Amino acid sequence: MAACTNCGAELETPLACGACGKLLEPARELTPFETLGLEPSFELDARELRRRLLRASRLVHPDFHGSSGAGEREAAERASARLNSAHELLADPAARADWLVRTLGGPSESEQRQMPQAFLMEVLEWNETLDAAREAAPGSPERAALAGLATNLREQREDVLAGLARLLVPLPPKGSPTLSRARAQLNALRYLATTLAQIDALALEQASPHEA
Amino acid sequence: MGFIELNVLNNATSNVALGIDLGTTNSLGAMWKDGRPIVLHPEGDSGYVPSALHFTDKGTVIVGREARELALIDPAHTLFSIKRFMGRGLADVESDVRNVPCPVSETENGVVQFEMRGRRYTPQELSALILMKVHDQACKALGGLEVTKVVITVPAYFDDAQRQATRDAARFAGLDVLRIVNEPTAASLAYGLDQRKQGKVAVYDLGGGTFDVSILSIEDGVFQVLATNGDTHLGGDDFDRTLVDVARKELAAMMRPSALEDRAFLQLLRLAAERCKIELSTDPESYLHVSLPESGVQWRRKVTRQEFDALTAHLIERTLHSCRRAMADAKLEPKDIDEVVLVGGSTRIPAVRARIEKFFGRKPHCELNPDEVVALGAAVQAHVLMGGTREVLLMDVTPLSLGMETMGGAVAKIIQRNSTIPCHATEGFTTYVDNQTGIDFHVVQGERELASDCRSLGRFKLTGIPPMPAGMPRIAVRFHIDANGILTVTAKEEATGKSARIEIKPMNGLTDGEVETMLNLAYKNAREDFDARRAADLRTEIGTMARATERGLGQAGSVLDRETRRDVEEALAAARAAAADMKLEATMLQKRRDELERATLPLAALLMDHVAKSALSGKRLDEV
Repeated sequence: MAACTNCGAELETPLACGACGKLLEPARELTPFETLGLEPSFELDARELRRRLLRASRLVHPDFHGSSGAGEREAAERASARLNSAHELLADPAARADWLVRTLGGPSESEQRQMPQAFLMEVLEWNETLDAAREAAPGSPERAALAGLATNLREQREDVLAGLARLLVPLPPKGSPTLSRARAQLNALRYLATTLAQIDALALEQASPHEA
Repeated sequence: MGFIELNVLNNATSNVALGIDLGTTNSLGAMWKDGRPIVLHPEGDSGYVPSALHFTDKGTVIVGREARELALIDPAHTLFSIKRFMGRGLADVESDVRNVPCPVSETENGVVQFEMRGRRYTPQELSALILMKVHDQACKALGGLEVTKVVITVPAYFDDAQRQATRDAARFAGLDVLRIVNEPTAASLAYGLDQRKQGKVAVYDLGGGTFDVSILSIEDGVFQVLATNGDTHLGGDDFDRTLVDVARKELAAMMRPSALEDRAFLQLLRLAAERCKIELSTDPESYLHVSLPESGVQWRRKVTRQEFDALTAHLIERTLHSCRRAMADAKLEPKDIDEVVLVGGSTRIPAVRARIEKFFGRKPHCELNPDEVVALGAAVQAHVLMGGTREVLLMDVTPLSLGMETMGGAVAKIIQRNSTIPCHATEGFTTYVDNQTGIDFHVVQGERELASDCRSLGRFKLTGIPPMPAGMPRIAVRFHIDANGILTVTAKEEATGKSARIEIKPMNGLTDGEVETMLNLAYKNAREDFDARRAADLRTEIGTMARATERGLGQAGSVLDRETRRDVEEALAAARAAAADMKLEATMLQKRRDELERATLPLAALLMDHVAKSALSGKRLDEV
């Protein structure tokens, strides 16, 4: 990791110096990993990530630059936005994997739309269950079936994430065909997330029917 | 105002900032002092400034309690609940407009305007008058200390236009806004510091006109908002309205239809409903009482708590729906919540407390006054922003997703709701035809699929793109949501590195030009009105102090050494002369008043008589 241009101390984040407190403006766009002082990796310790977010926030958050000049307040806004946006991406395994696949030259979402074969059949089944529940009255067996589906999908989500970890740890080399397989898993993950969101929305609607 | 307040005068004023809760029904100021936040109020007064405005026939505006009282005599020239109109267009506030006694129109960019006594006022300008009153009262409580830096609270669920409107209001009031902070977050700061809370906390904030729920994680001084939800059009006013509707329905039989629509009558009903509601929080039954001697109406109607609960159950259910959505976004179950904190006057309603307790499965906290806790939290935040402490780290979120309208009228999300702020996102744009130099785009806030169902933040026009073949320019548009939850948009053409220009046509907001005009013209006048009022108050106060000083000199003057006595007499003469000079401005009067107060300190110390002592310390006339 680089040193502070102001005092020479070793940096934990390129956004600011923990020793002298100076806000640093990196010359180029930082990657999310760089922003939090991490090496690119799919595996990430959530506690360590949060610790780094909080430590860096205490340096760059605009709250701590409130009595400084307008220029420094704006610099703190920019640094804090970089930090939060980077953290948000890293904290979500799907977004993190997507970033790694793209950065390593793998196919994007629009370039490769395939999903694992077995998955396709299942997606059709989920949609049937969802459609039936949507048309059924609150409290009906069709609605109750959603809870089972949700549990099933959450388990599958864990499986897909584990599969992604097998493909992305250690990181494959740039342009590797493994990246294409990782993209297929990510596509599956997106379907799972969308379906789970729909189930959650239906559950909320059921809890407050008059709001629907 | 006691003697101790004089100490504050010696502090550097630049290190002080106020926290202001700008509420739908009441507003309040607070400040950090001696290691804790305190509410600022004149002695013997709660400090609440009712958010009411009365327009006199002389063209001046009276704000606060007096305005609220004048509403009974002259409702046609009194306005309430201005906050409901902030950052809103006419179409958004139809049901509220019905309660407004004056003509209401809209500017070209959809800003509501109230026409009173031949002048048009935007909600921003009216909120500025309320802020000035709160600010003035807070400064008075600080012994005339002039503090201009403020933190102002808004409902967490306020969108960009509503936040900008609040910031504009503060600018019109001549205040330097350090931060717009969310009300439930502020409340959690006040609570968290006081109780040293840890864990997952739900803040349920039901105020006069707005409802918020925020789910926070608090640990080691880190206050992190996980999710927020709410309804900027739901509050105590709506609970009152259910009783007003009952009264109107039953009175219809004994009153002329025109009398039922009479403004003064409706105002009377609203106050009767509010009184009844408040009594029902402590008593199992109460009465709706309407007395109109001139039209021979004497009406009393018993309301039981049970009946009131039935009338308002749907309102409470709406708040719970927001709670469910916030919990879902925070990925938590009610059982995961360690503490529930109640904020806002409407949480005194027993049915609200009971439903919240049932929903979260635990007794809610209400140790701190629910009407004060937001202002207190704003004072904590002001203290942090002035560099007072680094122990508190507040991480708030944006309540609504930010998106852009796509070709088919759908919304492409740019920033998700409940993202920690400040945050940013960059979108790439290009041209569709050769030598195209401009691109239009439409930015919206909300969760719905169609742009037309979301709230429009405005139409943006990118200009100054260098002429190039279609698809060649690469314009990066950066959306930045700052720590106030307010959006700024910048653009750069990446091939040339040139900043592209962006013109914004704001929706429900004032343009930069309008803000400037209002700052330059209208508010100089309002400040003058306000100064005139303050000067009048100071003249009265000096009169009171002068009489008390004379009384004191008569009682104890002979014991004073000659020099001190001469100081007192000189300060007295100077203050009297100042009060008599009608051309003198408030600042000079304040100075003379403060000098008199200082000169009389030794005299007051001599006087053992408690009454004389408090009178000397500058009580208001009506309190002596």
